[in-house]
Amino acid sequence: MAMMNFFEYAGRPFVGILEEFGRVMLLFLSAAVWAFRPPFRLRQVFKQMEAVGVNSLPVVLITAVSSGMVLALQSYYGFRMFGGESLVGATVALSMTREIGPVFTALMVTGRAGSAMAAEIGTMRVKEQIDALYAMSVNPVQFLVMPRVLAGMVTLPVLTVVSDFIGIVGGYFVGGQLLGINSGVFMARIYEMLDLNDIFNGLIKAVCFGLILSVVSCYKGFYTTGGAEGVGRAATQAVVISTVSIFISDFFLTAVMF
Amino acid sequence: MTKLTVEAKVGVFVVMGIVILGYMAMKVGKLSLMREKGYDVEVFFDSVSGLAPDVPVEIAGVEVGRVRDISLVDGMARVVLRIKPGVKIKKDAKAVIRTRGILGDKYITLGKGSPSAPDIKPGQRLWRTEPAMDLDALMGTLQDVAADIKSLSSSLTGVLGGAEGKATLKAIFNNFKEMVQTLNNTVQKNRDNIDVIVANLTDFSKTLKELGGVNVKDIQKIIENLSQASDRLGTVMEGMNRIVSRVNAGKGNIGRLLNEEEAIDNLNAALASLREISEKINQGQGTIGKLVNEEETAEKINTALTGINDYLQKQETFRTYVDYRGEYLFEHEWAKSYFTLRIQPKEDKYYLFQVVDDPAGKEKVTRIRREVDGQIVEEERVELEDELKFSAQIAKRYYNLGLRGGFFESTGGVAIDYYLLDDRLTFSLEAFDFDWEDNPHLKFIANFSPIHHIYLTAGYDDFINDEGQESFFLGAGIQFADEDIKTLITNVPIPTH
Repeated sequence: MAMMNFFEYAGRPFVGILEEFGRVMLLFLSAAVWAFRPPFRLRQVFKQMEAVGVNSLPVVLITAVSSGMVLALQSYYGFRMFGGESLVGATVALSMTREIGPVFTALMVTGRAGSAMAAEIGTMRVKEQIDALYAMSVNPVQFLVMPRVLAGMVTLPVLTVVSDFIGIVGGYFVGGQLLGINSGVFMARIYEMLDLNDIFNGLIKAVCFGLILSVVSCYKGFYTTGGAEGVGRAATQAVVISTVSIFISDFFLTAVMF
Repeated sequence: MTKLTVEAKVGVFVVMGIVILGYMAMKVGKLSLMREKGYDVEVFFDSVSGLAPDVPVEIAGVEVGRVRDISLVDGMARVVLRIKPGVKIKKDAKAVIRTRGILGDKYITLGKGSPSAPDIKPGQRLWRTEPAMDLDALMGTLQDVAADIKSLSSSLTGVLGGAEGKATLKAIFNNFKEMVQTLNNTVQKNRDNIDVIVANLTDFSKTLKELGGVNVKDIQKIIENLSQASDRLGTVMEGMNRIVSRVNAGKGNIGRLLNEEEAIDNLNAALASLREISEKINQGQGTIGKLVNEEETAEKINTALTGINDYLQKQETFRTYVDYRGEYLFEHEWAKSYFTLRIQPKEDKYYLFQVVDDPAGKEKVTRIRREVDGQIVEEERVELEDELKFSAQIAKRYYNLGLRGGFFESTGGVAIDYYLLDDRLTFSLEAFDFDWEDNPHLKFIANFSPIHHIYLTAGYDDFINDEGQESFFLGAGIQFADEDIKTLITNVPIPTH
């Protein structure tokens, strides 16, 4: 019996993780199912798109332009060692479109919108507004979760495209204007090395990240317990788990796509 | 200012994303999701190590397509190239795998091919390839070479190093020294002879150069003088020898020696001769004198040598071809044979002499009278007789086009030749036998040489003739250049008795 207790004790965290993973999947599935059932609640979807996409734009732009500029600067010092300065443009473009664009955008959106989602839904949960929705025969998954997941999946690629572009512009500014790399060569190398597939694969990643961050954040909010403190914990956990999931899935997505 | 609605904000946001994506897609411009337009060409390589799909295919550095597919067929790497539409590739263009940049990116470059070759059709195969420069293979070869050098140097060390080797070397050097000494002695002993030889040589080159411009008698005289002088020198030397030996032997003394008239006479004569010779040499008289004193002589020898050189160089471009060919004329069912000597002093010019055995060269008309039903009927019978005909032509060539003129089968004529495939294929049109009554004899000939020395010939003979003489013909020929003949003759086994 003691033996049994030991295994039970040791195994509980794993079982807990599995349970949580299963609940996230179930929430996602029911959101997916509710997305195809009327009423479609477009109003909610647009509202969430504004919250997740439009309002995240400034922070994503700043992140993208800085990372593009830093990339140009850092790779310039590396490439200068063997006279490959002309490759800076291609490096910036490839890194931005393949990795930095989608990942940084997803991280910023997680920080800005993911935490908001968890806090919002969590507050509604602890204030028993979700129960009220049930009482009004409004499915809370359709009303709260589905619009956020859809908004995340739609807006993340758009933000990523903007981020890619602005990042390359930042790299061009630093490389071509400040460091004195010939701007024609800079652009020619980008055209030579960059494939449309690089951009598209980055966008596929962005869709996945959007899905992950919105589902995880909604889940954390949806199952919040413990009053105001619980709401705070839910927001924090939503950001942490989303971020970690994004990085882990990024590895697998990269391995599959490139 | 009214506040934007949520929908408008989201709309602007999404449109902005789509516009930027569209702009980047246009700029990057390689919509590889779509199947690229163009046509496929196959190439087989022994190894495509490092080659990846979608790498560029270039002609003269311009991208004309991409590698679409790489697969293994019968142990060879089959590479499918997708060539852009409108790009023409010659069938004999060579496909080479090249490496670019320090990172060693592989790409394929196609040669331009020969201008006369046809364009390749979609799906066809390019046959001429050159494998990628394999760094490993190169290193392997270098290693082999290094090993060879090492074994060579070690065997050299074995031969030359050690006591035995040193002794051998010493012996070799000693032998060499002896040889040089012997040579020296020989030369000194035969100095007179050598002088004479040199004199003769100078004389010869002079005669060669100034044929008739030099007084040969003078030279003869000089040579006579010289030989007389050297004869006398010989006697003098004998005398001196005798004197010295006597002095050495202690016989007599110097006083007696001086009083001896014969000795003084001899000595005087010797000195006189010596002075005479050296004076002559100094004044530039005689052949040796001239040789020593006059730069002109040296120049003359130089010019003579240059002349010989020029002549030899001319000989090098000078070629002679012997050619025999037979033609079978289908219409007449007879064969015509040609024996040709072609003398080609320069690449673009030759003279052609030809003997033609024409079985229908001459018309022999015989009249036969016979009685038919009491009347005398005169019949004419025309027989064609074998005749030898001669051709002599001058030909001049401009790149692929040759023009000939002169005698064609004992009549006047002209011809145009067109050379293809490194002269292995020639088309000729000959026109000869111009007279007032008939059309000229036109002959179209195509020669193809599949291997050296042998060629096939076909054509259409006398095709604007109005007497029904036109005929297709087919034949073969054999041709040798002068070098071949030389080789042939020297290699023929000679009976030993």
